[in-house]
Amino acid sequence: MMSPARSSALLTRNSVAALAVALSFSFPAPAADAEAGKRKAELCAGCHGADGNSASAAFPSLAAQPPLYVYYQLLQFRNLQRKDPSMTAIASTLSDADMKDIAAYYETQVAKVPEKALEPAQIEAGNAIAARNHCGSCHMPAYTGQKHIARLAGQHYDYLVKELRGFKTGARPDIDGSMASAAQPLSDKDITDMAAYLAGLK
Amino acid sequence: MRKPAIPAVAFCAAGVAFAVSTVFAQQPAPSAPVAPAAAPAAPLIPPSWAQGRKPEQEAANLAPHPPGLSALPLNEIPVDKIKVPPGFSVTVYASGMPNARSMTFGKTGNLYVGSRFPGNVYAVTPKGEVKIVARGLHRSNGVAYKNGTLYIAELSQISKIDDIDSKLDSPPAPTVIFDALPKDEAHGWKFMKLGPDGKLYFQIGSPGNIVMPPSTHAQIVRLDPEKKVLESVTIGVRNSVGMDFHPKTKQLWFTNNGRDWVGDDLPNDTLHHVTFKGQHNGFPYCHQGDLLDDEFGKGRSCDEFVKPDLKLGPHVAALGMRFYTGSQFPAEYRNNIFIAEHGSWNRTKKVGYNISRVVLDDKGKVAKFEPFATGWLQGETFWGRPADVQVAPDGALLVSDDVAGAIFRIAYKK
Repeated sequence: MMSPARSSALLTRNSVAALAVALSFSFPAPAADAEAGKRKAELCAGCHGADGNSASAAFPSLAAQPPLYVYYQLLQFRNLQRKDPSMTAIASTLSDADMKDIAAYYETQVAKVPEKALEPAQIEAGNAIAARNHCGSCHMPAYTGQKHIARLAGQHYDYLVKELRGFKTGARPDIDGSMASAAQPLSDKDITDMAAYLAGLK
Repeated sequence: MRKPAIPAVAFCAAGVAFAVSTVFAQQPAPSAPVAPAAAPAAPLIPPSWAQGRKPEQEAANLAPHPPGLSALPLNEIPVDKIKVPPGFSVTVYASGMPNARSMTFGKTGNLYVGSRFPGNVYAVTPKGEVKIVARGLHRSNGVAYKNGTLYIAELSQISKIDDIDSKLDSPPAPTVIFDALPKDEAHGWKFMKLGPDGKLYFQIGSPGNIVMPPSTHAQIVRLDPEKKVLESVTIGVRNSVGMDFHPKTKQLWFTNNGRDWVGDDLPNDTLHHVTFKGQHNGFPYCHQGDLLDDEFGKGRSCDEFVKPDLKLGPHVAALGMRFYTGSQFPAEYRNNIFIAEHGSWNRTKKVGYNISRVVLDDKGKVAKFEPFATGWLQGETFWGRPADVQVAPDGALLVSDDVAGAIFRIAYKK
């Protein structure tokens, strides 16, 4: 059994690991350019919002998303793995460097605080479902995302429900099958409860 | 260190967590009332990678390394970081191939390369041109070549492209030849190798980190590509992502990836070979030949199973392995085994991320085990991950890297 000291070593290691991965993908390449990304993201603003906080629940907010998440989604749209005609059309005009710059821009944007406050019961229900399903292991305890894994806090409720249902049925393919596997035990009520909870998080 | 009480504690803790969450779920909420008579939900099975994880290990917010989805531009590949023994040199053989993994050569010198995430199969011509010969596949990790036909192993089906070498510029879509295979994502991507018997050898991995696998899983199988008959070759194999046949004995040798969450130093990944049909290698009862599983090992003995030839190190992620059958390297390398270690993901201090060398003596016993090519890992940072090795027709050793999206060539000159 691991000692408490060992557990804390694991925690420390984790922050080191996150840093290491960030480094591993920027080394020895030059860092992505958020300033250039701001210009390149102008074609995204109509749907995703100029600052990455989208006005419509049909489009996900991208503000404060981990940059590797945004980059990997764009790659998957371009590879025809994630299927959306509009996004594929846009992604196919972007180079890898464009995608990294755009991702770097959204990382610098601040996610808007959700307007609707959560009911305590909603927090408890959503929190319990997320805990039972180990969501925080990858998405982080505050659901801010890490590495190639999405920020969920403050995301639109409709979008979260649609994507979680999609992961369960396979309509939304994921890179390595982790989300397809994670979504299998979720009932539709689990999905809507958890989406309500996550959408209300700062 | 390891006490029999651990699984019981883990089970109880999980039970408590479940009970608490059930209470939450059953609290009447004004916005979304729950029927008080609702039966408790069935206990949840964690995602496959988290199975067997202890409660105290859950504190670590840990995610798998990002899968390689892109390729480093050629001028950004730090090939000079790769260190090899004196007399050897390393160059980039091909680049710009996102997630390049398993490799096989065709008879005219084209190299075929599978990928796990982008769904591409690449061809590298002898001139070094990279072409995509299949795309949009699902976990197209395994490739094999027989009489002009390229075979591709996807997650749950085997397909082929006939006369591939003359069709690199306008390849037809692959034709499925066999699809009666499990569809699990966990350990479902395949390494495939053509056997001396003309059959296609590949693994069907355990459907979770540590589970009692169905009889269809946790084994290496072979498929007769003409008669479409599937047979078990060896069982009790958690997940093998590398295999090759001994050049003299023609016996199957393979690497196996050990389970997670026992600890940083246990169990080891292992190297095995098969001496009889149906050989059982221990999973899930016994790991690394001498470590009974806390849960599945109860009432069992490691002596029931065939022990591995070598412990390769804990969590190193030993993937592709090949016998060195070329003549370019010094004579002592003849019939050595090279192994691509993809590198650890959840170990406190990273290990692996290199190519190791195994020397066998005349009786087939391991005489030496040492690193051969290193440098993908710099401190705790990796810039690439070796996924497979392949002997080129000229005797050089090729190494695929699924994060750099490139293939390296290790050559020897006196």
